[in-house]
Amino acid sequence: MSAKAAKQKNLTKEEELLLQDFSRNVSTKSSALFYGNALIVSAIPIWLFWRIHQMDLYQSGILFVVGTVISTYLVSLAYKNVKFVLKHKVAQKREEAVAREVMKMISDDKKMNKKEKDERILWKKNEVADYEATTFSIFYNNAFYLVLLIVISFYILRNFNPNVNYVFSVGSAAGLLALFSTSTK
Amino acid sequence: MKIISVLLVLVASCLSGYMADDEGEPRLLASKNILNQYLVENKDLTVEYKIFNIGGSAAQNVRLEDAGFPEADFQLVAGNVQATWERIAPNTNVSHSVIVRPVSSGYYNFTAAEISYSAGADAKKRQVGYTSSPGEGGIVNFKEFNRRFSPHVVDWCVFAIMTLPSLGIPFLLWWSSKSKYDSKPKRS
Amino acid sequence: MNCAGKTIFSFLMLVAPSVVFGDSCASPQVKPSIYTTTEASSSTDTVFIVQFSLTCKGGPSDLTLYADVNGKTVAVTRNDDNVKFPFQVSFSDENKNLPSGTYEVKFYDEDGFANLRKAQRSGESSSSVKSLFSIEVNHPGVWKGPFVSSELVATLVALLVFFSAYTARNSLQSS
Repeated sequence: MSAKAAKQKNLTKEEELLLQDFSRNVSTKSSALFYGNALIVSAIPIWLFWRIHQMDLYQSGILFVVGTVISTYLVSLAYKNVKFVLKHKVAQKREEAVAREVMKMISDDKKMNKKEKDERILWKKNEVADYEATTFSIFYNNAFYLVLLIVISFYILRNFNPNVNYVFSVGSAAGLLALFSTSTK
Repeated sequence: MKIISVLLVLVASCLSGYMADDEGEPRLLASKNILNQYLVENKDLTVEYKIFNIGGSAAQNVRLEDAGFPEADFQLVAGNVQATWERIAPNTNVSHSVIVRPVSSGYYNFTAAEISYSAGADAKKRQVGYTSSPGEGGIVNFKEFNRRFSPHVVDWCVFAIMTLPSLGIPFLLWWSSKSKYDSKPKRS
Repeated sequence: MNCAGKTIFSFLMLVAPSVVFGDSCASPQVKPSIYTTTEASSSTDTVFIVQFSLTCKGGPSDLTLYADVNGKTVAVTRNDDNVKFPFQVSFSDENKNLPSGTYEVKFYDEDGFANLRKAQRSGESSSSVKSLFSIEVNHPGVWKGPFVSSELVATLVALLVFFSAYTARNSLQSS
């Protein structure tokens, strides 16, 4: 992680510290957000397997619960990874605009010294980067997850028994999502 | 799956003991075909009977009776499993159709239907014969058929509605922040 | 064989008119029940089944009837076990020969049928022969399954959304 951070040469030491603080160790609030979203998107396949693959909701109830739980964990892992990868980049991209906005807001405040102003900008930049990286990561991973799920369950495992189809399509869609999320590109 | 039997069974004349000594005897050929692409539980099954008179005179009072669709296994949707024609002229054919619905799935042996007729209006003795039999066919489970062949348009639409918030909400939140800060650096 | 056929036909021509005269059905009351093939999976050909009950005013209803659809004539069968719709006539042809639309099935008694055959033979228009009654068959057409499967549409939409997400991610990560 430090090697990665070192690559970002245009970040100052203070910035690094601040960003790292918010990196992989997500706050409880955003963690809950991730798990909630992951649960929703992981539960959606049940509809497809119930209505279209004609599985029985009660008979396969345990399968659905287990599949959803595993998928929720893997999807939320993917959310976190993608968010982490994106956050630095977003911070760099939004730096100028955020600084401009903050300066405009606090320009009247003559008492504030440069260090305080810089801190304010840093804090705001971190907030914006965190927000954007979080929302984008959820959007991106949800879209990816649904594509993987549809392709696997309706094309690759089409002729399999619905129970087998469910286990493998949900498992591999979430697994692949988590796997791809670790690569930076 | 496709059950099209093209076999025609020669009936009546051969079975009856005495063959006609002249060309005046009616001779009937009858077929029974199932026209379905797929035989599915609780879905229409189309049965077509065709009777050809290849004899020299008209067959009178022709009666077709198919006992191959018992009420326990089939529900009659349209058509009669028993039909009579006043006469079938020589060198003509008639056709008759029946729609039934199999009550359950599994293999079913489709047997021949019986036809009987008299050679002339005055003939006392009725000739009896059988149509071709379509043979054994597998009736697919309705659930299985539905899984493979129904387009599920409504189910997919509901799926789209379900996925919309999980894609739309994060996208819109991200987009609003992006458009707020993604402006090209302007000199103020 | 051919000779016998001619004998039968002339028999029909000579005897039928006088016999049928008293048989004709005055002000027929018809109650039809119609089935047409709607799904290609249940039949490779299009099948029409017209069943009906017939009551004649003051006359016998045990007529021998013939039906005509688009110039094709067939004999009507009867089954007195079926109290509700004792008469049945079936037509079947390839799907392309029986497209969706409204068909008029005209019914003739033996007299009318003989006239119809005579008219057809001499090349006259068959509309001059009056039918006993007619039944309209409304055929909605045969459904052969969707042009594109729903899965394909769903996959394409999902791919499109993912592609835009992927592009957005790339532009976010580009420095």
